[in-house]
Amino acid sequence: MKTFRVSLNLSLTNSSALAQTQTTPEPPKRRRGTSRWLTLAAPIALLVLWFLATDVLRLFTPNQLPSPIQVLRTASEMIADGSLWRNVAASIGRVVLGFIIGAGIAVIAGTLVGLSKTVETLIDPTLQALRNVPSLAWVPFLLLWLGIDEAPKITLIAIGAFFPVYLNLVSGIRQADRKLVEVGYIFGLRGFHLVRQIILPSALPYLLAGLRIGFGQAWLFLVAAELIASTRGLGFMLIDGQNSSRPDIMLVSIITLALLGKLSDSLLRIVERRALSWTDTFQGT
Amino acid sequence: MSTHKITRRAFAGALIGAALLSACAAPPVPAAPAPAAPAADTAANPPAATGTKPAEVRLDYATYNPSSLVLKEFGWLEEDLAKDGVPVKWVFSAGSNKANELVSSNASDFGSTAGAAALLARTNGVPLKTVYVYSKPEWTALVVPKDSPIKAVTDLKGKKIAVTRGTDPFFFLLRSLKEAGLNQSDVEIVNLQHADGRLALERGQVDAWSGLDPHMANAELNAGATLLYRNIDFNTFGTLNAREEFLQKYPDYVQRVIAQYERARKWILENPDKTAEILAKEAKIDLAIAKKQLTERTVLDADVGTPGDKLRAALEAIVPILTSEKLVASDADPAGALAVLIEPQAAEAALK
Repeated sequence: MKTFRVSLNLSLTNSSALAQTQTTPEPPKRRRGTSRWLTLAAPIALLVLWFLATDVLRLFTPNQLPSPIQVLRTASEMIADGSLWRNVAASIGRVVLGFIIGAGIAVIAGTLVGLSKTVETLIDPTLQALRNVPSLAWVPFLLLWLGIDEAPKITLIAIGAFFPVYLNLVSGIRQADRKLVEVGYIFGLRGFHLVRQIILPSALPYLLAGLRIGFGQAWLFLVAAELIASTRGLGFMLIDGQNSSRPDIMLVSIITLALLGKLSDSLLRIVERRALSWTDTFQGT
Repeated sequence: MSTHKITRRAFAGALIGAALLSACAAPPVPAAPAPAAPAADTAANPPAATGTKPAEVRLDYATYNPSSLVLKEFGWLEEDLAKDGVPVKWVFSAGSNKANELVSSNASDFGSTAGAAALLARTNGVPLKTVYVYSKPEWTALVVPKDSPIKAVTDLKGKKIAVTRGTDPFFFLLRSLKEAGLNQSDVEIVNLQHADGRLALERGQVDAWSGLDPHMANAELNAGATLLYRNIDFNTFGTLNAREEFLQKYPDYVQRVIAQYERARKWILENPDKTAEILAKEAKIDLAIAKKQLTERTVLDADVGTPGDKLRAALEAIVPILTSEKLVASDADPAGALAVLIEPQAAEAALK
């Protein structure tokens, strides 16, 4: 079984995400409290180090690395004049739209490839090859074909979101227990009913892990998309800060990206947990 | 379970402890070898011994700075510095924004920018000084595609305009809009590097472009683009900026660079056709485009050389824009930055 999974190109991230979703013993409440503090330890330590390196020891000049206080002040100014929100809103809009399109197509393609050997032979090798094209390689062509407005950005994000969802779904479908499929067959399940009652539930953990990774990828590709020809967005803030020698603006953009990425991942994790607890009860009956 | 918990807590404690320890232990280590020792701190110190020589001299070259291309082509600076065994390294700059980045990150000792871009960088804390004026160009203007319905700057309201933010075309655009009673929010400004801006204009992806030569001359001659608005006084000179630390440590080397720049400038005045060939080759453009840029729009025999009052006057017009358009931090001081930006001594000594 293990070797089979590897041969299906499941990356390490996928399997570790799966491990998390499959073993779901709820930790006792008190331990969750302490671990929450532990979670904060690393960012706080980083912040302290950053503060020490800039404001206290002055190892860096402000044009190389501005202090956290300077960055905080820039952030609060950008919040006050609404520019941060304007950029964040533009980026979220692009990520969500690109993700919906990319993941939507991936679910259709993944289901077809997962269920049919013929379709797999037909399109899977091509998709596997395209998967290895680095995101930045698409940028000049998307600009050439789709202009400089929203279309190339959304397309790039959709490409980013597509592959993790597609790969995980195909693997998930192929991971369905052959014995269960046979049992379903004996009980007279055919076609759509077999897929709905046996194959899809067993693929669900994979699909959800794929969606989470795909959403993360969407954020990564967003920056690549916004670095060129943009008027707003977090990637634009990054390039604008770079062009006008404002590393504080660049850091505001980077920190916002990190926070938004983490937040969206946590949201999807909650969705994932809910959806999976439902499957567990369903399988139990 | 409880031992597990203790281990984790202890681990976290150890982690933070280690982090703090290493932070406290840090100062003596990087203080000595740090190559980019904060220039702001050295500003108060007297210039270091003039006899020392740099390990290498790093300059940028750019298609908007013909003198740099000529210098690089003939290797005059290499020749001069070879006497001291000091090598020369050339780095390409695609625009003032990139040149400022090179200087800010200590990847180059000299950056060629527009005067306004140098002021922006200096205001935002980049330790550079303008030591030489390499040209008085009319290198930027507002460009519209062939047969554009846009006939005046006021027609740009609500239109999409490509520009490289933080460079002379950007300041040119802001000032032109202001003059026509418009401001940044009346138009959609798309950030594109100069060369990409031309492509966007030719493909009809933007309505106008605040261009830069030679890309601008290219769009005119090859795609029939026209200049919607010109104003040479909104161009802020081509300035050569030195990294402040380099200037303080090696003022004589700054003078030698300027001396070679002067040689290149004089050579260009005597050999415009050959210069056009060099520019055409380096920028991968037609000879006619290079000639247009050099002969029609680059002044090399007046107001150039030592940076002085003309440059200062041009930059004084930029000061209020930096604040009003929020290009600098709210507590930044553009006027104060201008007061320390221009450093004529090296050029005065070199041009004697």
